[in-house]
Amino acid sequence: MILLKNILKDDPAFQYVVDDLELMSPVGQQRLLNAPWITERAAIEAEYDRIDRAIALLSNADAAPSVNVVRHQLMQLHDIKGTLSSLKGHILLNEIELFEVKLLAHLYGVAAKHLASVGEEGLLAFDGHPLQATLQEVFALLDPDNTGMAHFYIYDSYDPRLAPLRKALKENEDADIFSQQEAVQQEVIVRLCDKLHPYAEALSSALEQMGYLDLLLAKATQARSWQLCRPVLSGERHYLRALFNPRLKQHNEQEGLRYQPVDIELKEGLCLITGANMAGKTVLLKTVGIAQHMAQFGMFVPAQEASLRLVDDVVLCIGDEQNEMNGLSSFASEIIKISDALRRTRHEQLLVLIDEPARTTNPIEGKAIVQAMGALLAQQHSISMVTTHYSQLGLDCRRLRVKGFVEDMNDVALTPQNINSFMDYSLVEDTTDEVPHEALRIAAILGCDQEMIALAQEHLKHHKTNG
Amino acid sequence: MPELFGPMPFINDILRHRSLSIVGLEKNTGKTVCLNYVLRRLNEVGARAAITSIGVDGEQTDSVYATAKPEVTLYEGMQFITSEKHYLQRRLVSQLLEVDSQRTSLGQLVTGEVLCRGKILLSGAASSEKLRSQIDHFKEQGMELTIVDGALSRLSLASPTVTDAMILATGAAVSLHLPQLISRTKFLHQLINLPEVDATMRQRLSHITQGIWAVDSDGQPHDLHIASVFLLGRGDNQDDLFRYGTTLFVSGAVSTQLVKYLASQKQIKDITLIVRDFTKFFVTPEVYAEYIRRGGTMLVLQQSKLLAITFNPTSPTGYTMPSRETCEKLSEALGTPVYDVMKIND
Repeated sequence: MILLKNILKDDPAFQYVVDDLELMSPVGQQRLLNAPWITERAAIEAEYDRIDRAIALLSNADAAPSVNVVRHQLMQLHDIKGTLSSLKGHILLNEIELFEVKLLAHLYGVAAKHLASVGEEGLLAFDGHPLQATLQEVFALLDPDNTGMAHFYIYDSYDPRLAPLRKALKENEDADIFSQQEAVQQEVIVRLCDKLHPYAEALSSALEQMGYLDLLLAKATQARSWQLCRPVLSGERHYLRALFNPRLKQHNEQEGLRYQPVDIELKEGLCLITGANMAGKTVLLKTVGIAQHMAQFGMFVPAQEASLRLVDDVVLCIGDEQNEMNGLSSFASEIIKISDALRRTRHEQLLVLIDEPARTTNPIEGKAIVQAMGALLAQQHSISMVTTHYSQLGLDCRRLRVKGFVEDMNDVALTPQNINSFMDYSLVEDTTDEVPHEALRIAAILGCDQEMIALAQEHLKHHKTNG
Repeated sequence: MPELFGPMPFINDILRHRSLSIVGLEKNTGKTVCLNYVLRRLNEVGARAAITSIGVDGEQTDSVYATAKPEVTLYEGMQFITSEKHYLQRRLVSQLLEVDSQRTSLGQLVTGEVLCRGKILLSGAASSEKLRSQIDHFKEQGMELTIVDGALSRLSLASPTVTDAMILATGAAVSLHLPQLISRTKFLHQLINLPEVDATMRQRLSHITQGIWAVDSDGQPHDLHIASVFLLGRGDNQDDLFRYGTTLFVSGAVSTQLVKYLASQKQIKDITLIVRDFTKFFVTPEVYAEYIRRGGTMLVLQQSKLLAITFNPTSPTGYTMPSRETCEKLSEALGTPVYDVMKIND
């Protein structure tokens, strides 16, 4: 099973999405990191329904005080899985562990009560098993004096011998009396643990439910603040309208720069993405990957509208991950990843995203590799998206080209700072087998050494007359 | 001169402050004995008090000299913070109020309230920030006073930015040689009593958190952009140091190097060095003395309120200095009463 924490190593861009989630508790953190990759439509839809409900709750100003109380309970939540497994295994808990159990029962009770007051107790009992009543019994066991407080000690009322011993201690700090008092406390703890033992399962579920609620509220909060959308999981179309990269969008907004979302539709088989340098091909590839990761880990996606096909896995090969530790060159790690993807596409439905394959080797063999790889991916049921600068690959597949520089730039001088305002990042279907030749123009804009550019142009002319 | 062997008169002084630190000039200077005295007196006057500590100080035997380390006695109604381990080993009856999710080497920190007086070992927070938030928390809980117990040579908790007032513990552990004991205690006492800048200046400087700054004749601070005091006196920096005047403010630690450099300048008589507080001062007594002798002025942004000095006549090696004589000599040299910590409990 693929877990979210395994993906983070392979997809640093997805880390940004995960880091933005405002989780209140370590239990919520754990739940996030161990979130499974979901491939069943019904399971994702069910999660989406709950996110929709959570969003509605967060948007309801009248519910805000209750939501704040719930959040405050989550902030106080400790991960007491260890304590609960001790309880299950008949290992005696100490006073601090008993306190932790009482605290869990208390926090759960308060959260459940406040969710119920706004008609959303179901968001806590996501597994369909509300535990308020059960945890109330636990709390009562640990609160024999009905204080209603989450404080704890071995109360006098647990055993008639305690009060007189403690009274004696107040009068006289005597080691013997203290030992007797401790012995009685220990007897009480044994009895308490026996009584609590049957509740161990319910307490574990309550902890899970609290962690789940934490994560759900965090996802809903992010969906609201990033304006994510709930994708349609039709099973056929793979379409993202106004897809955006959350990190880049936020960065551009902070810098006062324009951000242009992109529409993209992908189909089974291969789609080649071409476009000038700086046209955002790599970002596009990464963003398509992020959207799929978000969707299948049960989150809304960064687009205005989306219809997604569910896949068994995403293979992302950006090629900037030279793995010196393994002694692999960038070419080697790329080839290994691609061949692994090819092998898997024969029996799995993947989303394969490869950025400029074979760019680090000689262009003659490089092109041949891309042609072969492309031909194989084109035959598969997986959705493959490959960016390239190679022309005339002769592949029978779809081609999308990033529009690139806008035509009417009105003689504005381009700089590395404003170049982004003159880029049209939208995609057009391309029927030719050519790629844009704008590398030298962009190099010039970037203020590249003029002598070098002039020389390069000479070489280019020479190639053309000889070619 | 007050009677040095009677009960310490400073309990009422203590209650005029919201937080108190007890710091030892060295380990084994009787800090815990002093603490127990203060706690007992606070109980007698019925004050609502809380106690916390910095660093893991709570081994039952001192790890350096293997001497028995006294536990702290706490009384009914007092609140305290200690580690999970020491909570479970406590010899008092208390209820748990809170368990912190942050872990220390001795487990989570827990907050308890004493129901039946008894003894406990304290172990606590690792940072000044954590201490500050604990003190604030106790205030919110209606505690009149929070006492911070310090570990070995942890002066930082006595910073006026952490606690409002302090008690200094000195003793034979510092030195068995009386002149040496006096001079080391006197040096720290001098630093604690460094005069404060005026309120306007404090307001202007207190928000500065980094670097060395100069204050011009209009009282405006300017960052001198000195990356390191090690670069002082080399090349370009030489003339620049006084370009805005001779009043300097160091926001962080003040080193021997810097003070020595200033002491050697021809403008020394006009130089005023402003330090955040005495805990930021890491200068040898000799260099400090030279700086003052040559006419330099030293101020702090915020002065610490020193309530008392206690003296422990017994050194960890077992040797005991003559109590009455030493206390008197120390009092005379410091101009402040010094109490024998072993006798105040009688």
